Amino acid sequence: MIYAYAFVAIAACVGIERFHDRRVKIAIALALAAFLAIAPRFYGNEAVFSVLADAAVYVMLALGLNIVVGFAGLLDLGYAAFFAIGAYTYGMLASPQFGLHLPFWVLLFLAAALAALFGALLGAPTLRLHGDYLAIVTLGFGEIVPQIFQNLTKYTGGPNGIAALDVPTFFGHSFGASVMPYYYIALVGIVFALWISRNLRESRLGRAWMAIREDELAAKHAGIDVLRSKLAAFAIGASFSGIGGVLFAAKLALVSPDLFGFQVSVLIVSMLVLGGMGNIVGVVVGSLLLTIVNSALLPQINSLVDSTFHTTVDLSNIHFLIYGAILVGIMLFRPEGLLPNKERRAELHHAGEPEAEA
Amino acid sequence: MSILDLVQVTKRFGALTAVSNVTVTVEEGAIFGIIGPNGAGKSTLFNLLTAIYRFDEGSIAIGGTSIAGLTTQRIAKLGVARTFQNLRLFGNASALANVMVGEHLLLRANVVDSLLDTARERRERAEAERRARELLRFVGIAGVDEQFARNLPYGTQRRLEIARALAARPRLLLLDEPAAGLNPSEKRDLLTLIRAIRDTGATVLLIEHDMGLVMNLCERIAVLDYGVKIAEGAPSEIREHPRVIEAYLGAPA
Amino acid sequence: MHEFLAQLANGVELGAIYALIALGYTLVYGILELINFAHGDVYTFGSFTALVVLVALRAANVLHGAGLILGIVAALVVAILACALLNAGIERLAYRRLRKAPRLAPLITAIGVSFMLENLIELWQGSAPVPFPNVIPNPELEIGALQIGVQQIVVVALAVVTMIALHYFVQRSRLGKAMRAVAQDRDAAALVGIDVDRTIAVTFLIAGALAGVAGFVGGVSFGSAWFLNGFGAGLRAFTAAVLGGIGNIAGAMLGGFLIGLLESFSTWFIGGQWSNVAVFSVLILVLVFRPSGLLGESLPEKV
Ligand SMILES: Nc1ncnc2c1ncn2[C@@H]1O[C@H](COP(=O)(O)OP(=O)(O)O)[C@@H](O)[C@H]1O
Ligand SMILES: [Mg+2]
Repeated sequence: MIYAYAFVAIAACVGIERFHDRRVKIAIALALAAFLAIAPRFYGNEAVFSVLADAAVYVMLALGLNIVVGFAGLLDLGYAAFFAIGAYTYGMLASPQFGLHLPFWVLLFLAAALAALFGALLGAPTLRLHGDYLAIVTLGFGEIVPQIFQNLTKYTGGPNGIAALDVPTFFGHSFGASVMPYYYIALVGIVFALWISRNLRESRLGRAWMAIREDELAAKHAGIDVLRSKLAAFAIGASFSGIGGVLFAAKLALVSPDLFGFQVSVLIVSMLVLGGMGNIVGVVVGSLLLTIVNSALLPQINSLVDSTFHTTVDLSNIHFLIYGAILVGIMLFRPEGLLPNKERRAELHHAGEPEAEA
Repeated sequence: MSILDLVQVTKRFGALTAVSNVTVTVEEGAIFGIIGPNGAGKSTLFNLLTAIYRFDEGSIAIGGTSIAGLTTQRIAKLGVARTFQNLRLFGNASALANVMVGEHLLLRANVVDSLLDTARERRERAEAERRARELLRFVGIAGVDEQFARNLPYGTQRRLEIARALAARPRLLLLDEPAAGLNPSEKRDLLTLIRAIRDTGATVLLIEHDMGLVMNLCERIAVLDYGVKIAEGAPSEIREHPRVIEAYLGAPA
Repeated sequence: MHEFLAQLANGVELGAIYALIALGYTLVYGILELINFAHGDVYTFGSFTALVVLVALRAANVLHGAGLILGIVAALVVAILACALLNAGIERLAYRRLRKAPRLAPLITAIGVSFMLENLIELWQGSAPVPFPNVIPNPELEIGALQIGVQQIVVVALAVVTMIALHYFVQRSRLGKAMRAVAQDRDAAALVGIDVDRTIAVTFLIAGALAGVAGFVGGVSFGSAWFLNGFGAGLRAFTAAVLGGIGNIAGAMLGGFLIGLLESFSTWFIGGQWSNVAVFSVLILVLVFRPSGLLGESLPEKV
């Protein structure tokens, strides 16, 4: 059942990618949106929509990271830190922790702003670094943030985190135990994220990012403020993650530091790599595929194997192997990802030109 | 009025003095040539003008503003645009997008405009795109708009880079060996193009090895050898100048 | 005072391990400009191979007298060989094809390899730490106010001997000279007849061998091996390499000892839970303020 949804969504994405006529693209997108909005009335159950809601959060995260990695060309290996900042914003401000019970909707925006702020704070000193140095610094940041949340036990509940987070309400109606509100909010979030991504790609800022990614020196000569543009990418990308963090925390009603480690950052990078860095639709497909594999396919194969052979194999153990294999396999054999952005395809196939003398 | 004033500019790389005590003044609206053997310090001079390198001594002013301490980006804002001896296009972007990046400083859209695709963003984009197509036509490569820069023939790439530089509507355009690798007919087109550029009001500073082209185009020429300016004058004077002949023929006078 | 000296000894011991791992990062970075992200996991693999050999020998009941010495040597040699081959295999299968790719591609691949190794080691040895056979007797020696375990001395001594050997290899041997030539300018090295592919393979072999030594001494020193050890140790070692000046062999050693000391003293003063934060803060500060490291020279980018 979950596969049916995923299949429809992915097929629609491929369609959008393959057809050239703008009107056809828009029609497919609208049809998909309508289907995803209406189908739950007839088809599916809470468990399915719980997975789909998670998938949708990951799509948002991946779209955010795509702005940093795909558009601006900055490899951020600590992206989960902003996810953590978003989640803890909700965890600390909408729970018994401090007795603060700020509304979910306010925190959605606050978390976006806070994550963006931290993105800028991290970026300001580090964005001068190039390539893999930047990647490692962001990795370090990604390790520090959950560690700080873990250590500041007085404020964050330490290693156990914060539980019993508030159940959000919508005009006085509590979300209750249902996952459907999260599903719908995440869908709206995706639509919003897609819209923003598209706007950015076509914009003055998006062209500046392209220039920086392609040739930073030439970008400077065009008068582009490289540092500010990179900061904008970091901040905007982080804000997506902040929003995702609030959704994630509210749905789980729990935050704890171990939810935001390096694996999460690499998972999201894997989604991008799988779908094709820089390509908005590809990124959606990549993140859908990976989430479905993680939360539906693996457990099912697992129980199938167990019931057939009367074993107790634990396939949840091979997530790392899968992400790792995706990263290696795609980089070696199809660096442009499953659904490449046409710019990136060319870039990854012809790269390696030496730094030219000016 | 002068647009560029270099006074006793020196640049060293370790023990090597790449530019040595060079003084040059370029008048607004001129086509000014810089020639000299390979390794004479011509490109280094350009790199000093756009703050890729910092000069060790002397002063440089563009349009009367000292550029000491300014960043490359600030210098672009003073109205300086350039091409590179070894092309530096945005290879995996369309020709059109390359030129539109060149228009960056003409646009006012801020982050919020870009995020929300505001009316200003759309209006500017349409305008920028129109101008970019016009520029591609102006430099003589209309029709390649949607192609990736890296897939274009060499001569086309050279012109595309000029179009990108022109897109900023520079007061001072720096061309580093624009004719390198071009065939004779392409060189003739380039000559016409550079004249047309000057006629739009820009000052052109030109590094070039093709003597025919330089002598034809430039009103004034400075000659560098081992970082030192050994001569400056009108083409006719340069042609006769003993030190220039010496530098080019390598024979002691 | 006692506490201070004990922390100092601890820091030096940790530092010796980090230095050995850091050398692997630095050698590879020096020659390929690649952060071999999987290097930390090669170190983990070294710990486990040594562990498996020792456990088997212990089960065969040969670990006493001369057999103990031979057993320790055998475990060390197996770890060295296994890690050398693994590291060279990774280079051959995953990195070689990407030598001309944009820089982020090999880094992403390396992260992928790291994840695969971690998961494979976990499948092999489980997700809980495995106790490392306690083969080196560890009586405490008292030297003035300093209390130090024999084990600590062995660990540091082994590391130092390895580093001295590496130094001579790189400075004196033909292969070492080839490595330096390729690191400096790959094309020029090829022009003078150096087999670049082979030299790079040798570099990975040596880096792997160092990780093997580190894996062994790490197992002895921590008394256990864990599939994720390499992640934390690898990042610390990478920090050490950067702190010393990446690509610089003496720098990696210096950086290793400094990071070891930083870790032990930060644990002492502000608690072990902050040592990660301390180490990564150093990494970020070094990269931001002195990316060439303590001993590295900064080269102006040629435009
Ligand atoms: N970044 C640099 N570092 C060291 N030397 C440089 C650098 N850039 C240029 N040079 C040297 O400066 C001299 C002048 O070079 P350049 O300005 O490129 O000469 P050209 O007149 O041919 O353009 C050459 O000897 C060159 O090797
Ligand atoms: Mg030159």
